[in-house]
Amino acid sequence: MALRYAFFPGCVIPAKYPHFESATRAIAKVLDMELVDLPFSCCPPTSNMKLVHYDSWLALAARNLCVAEEQELDILTTCTGCVSTLKEANYIMRQKPNRRRKINRILEKAGRHYEGTIEVFHLLDVLYDHIGLEAIEEKCIYDLNMKVASHYGCHLFRPSYIMYPEFLSPSHSYVPTSIDEITEVLGGEPVKYMRRFLCCGYPLGANVDEDASYEILREKLYYIKAAHAELIAVACASCFEQFELGQVMIKKKYKETYKLPTLYISQLIGLAMGIDNETLGLKEHIHKIKKLLPRLQERTGRMRATL
Amino acid sequence: MTVQKVWSLFDRSQLYECYECSKCSGSCPVTLAGDFLGPRKILLKCLQHGSGRVIRDPLLWYCTTCQVCQDRCPQEINIPELLTGLRNKAAKIGNIPERVKFTVEKIAKTGRSVLGFKVERERKRYNLPPVVEISKEEISKILAETGFFKDLKIDH
Repeated sequence: MALRYAFFPGCVIPAKYPHFESATRAIAKVLDMELVDLPFSCCPPTSNMKLVHYDSWLALAARNLCVAEEQELDILTTCTGCVSTLKEANYIMRQKPNRRRKINRILEKAGRHYEGTIEVFHLLDVLYDHIGLEAIEEKCIYDLNMKVASHYGCHLFRPSYIMYPEFLSPSHSYVPTSIDEITEVLGGEPVKYMRRFLCCGYPLGANVDEDASYEILREKLYYIKAAHAELIAVACASCFEQFELGQVMIKKKYKETYKLPTLYISQLIGLAMGIDNETLGLKEHIHKIKKLLPRLQERTGRMRATL
Repeated sequence: MTVQKVWSLFDRSQLYECYECSKCSGSCPVTLAGDFLGPRKILLKCLQHGSGRVIRDPLLWYCTTCQVCQDRCPQEINIPELLTGLRNKAAKIGNIPERVKFTVEKIAKTGRSVLGFKVERERKRYNLPPVVEISKEEISKILAETGFFKDLKIDH
């Protein structure tokens, strides 16, 4: 039976980067997943709404959880901001009965009621835990043959006691490995670099100070370059924007050129699965991946999946 | 009912657990980028003067919400919760960056944080279904109930 999820694309991906969504839908089709579109609102982000008005943040997030609950579907998100908000709201509503009562009173005015019957997953969790690496490997017709630097996005795994409570280390923290393991399965080489699990700086630039945010990014790019990575794989649209536009801004300001193509994780998988470049939207990127495409190596005896 | 007090989101006794190792500020990406407050300074200011002075400081908003401070704190103090509580209070007294206010207002009025003019045309190029319509009335009804418009002095 096909896996079914309530598809939560967020706000940024459908409006700014529709090619991430089309790549995600394409690999979902190849991997036999069904994505159901539901009337979700903005998640809303932990980096603005939660800081400004906590109750409103929790109420809107709980409303989104209710929308999926009514269809009895687990949520699949493609953005780390959304997964952070929804998982955290789910956790708070389950653990803190006082808040749950208060928020439910508010939601009842809009004809909804939170029960706490569903789970929230990021695309990475679904690929890694539900689909499995072997199933992805079976569908690949190319070896990537590229050095890939992974950037997970802070909100995917922090705070760890909410995001991945079952995998905590003795020091109560957690470090994700899913992008690196998926890269290996696709025939690419994951690259380790310093500051790998630290922030790209996007929320700082979006909220107050762009220059300071590019300073944070510059440090990261320096270490990525030092590790000889050829492309960056991200799991979040905001991180993508920071890497893509940040490289242009850093070139203007400091005369440093990095020219590292940045791909969303479903585009990277689509590339190995032989999905055509138009569906993946590779042309939309500022830093083109075209130079690296001849490096793809065909695997013998594999059939291209039909879309 | 919706007045956000700092100490309703964060357990104040946790402040006394800090042993000033400065691991939080050392890890903070924002302190790397310039001379901003950083978690440790904010925490110490709260200990010394209470929250009253620090919530008037615009530098309070220099944060990427990456939560690495909480991740690395050896005393497991929930610093992001403290910062969330402080900023909630700051927003109420009008210490809120222009862009943050603009974004939350947009979410409150349209239900989305990003809007575009050519969205549907672009989506058609990729054979994507149109973005699912949501009820704006429902969103603003919920937010009126939580006290969002009143607390932030936004017209409703």
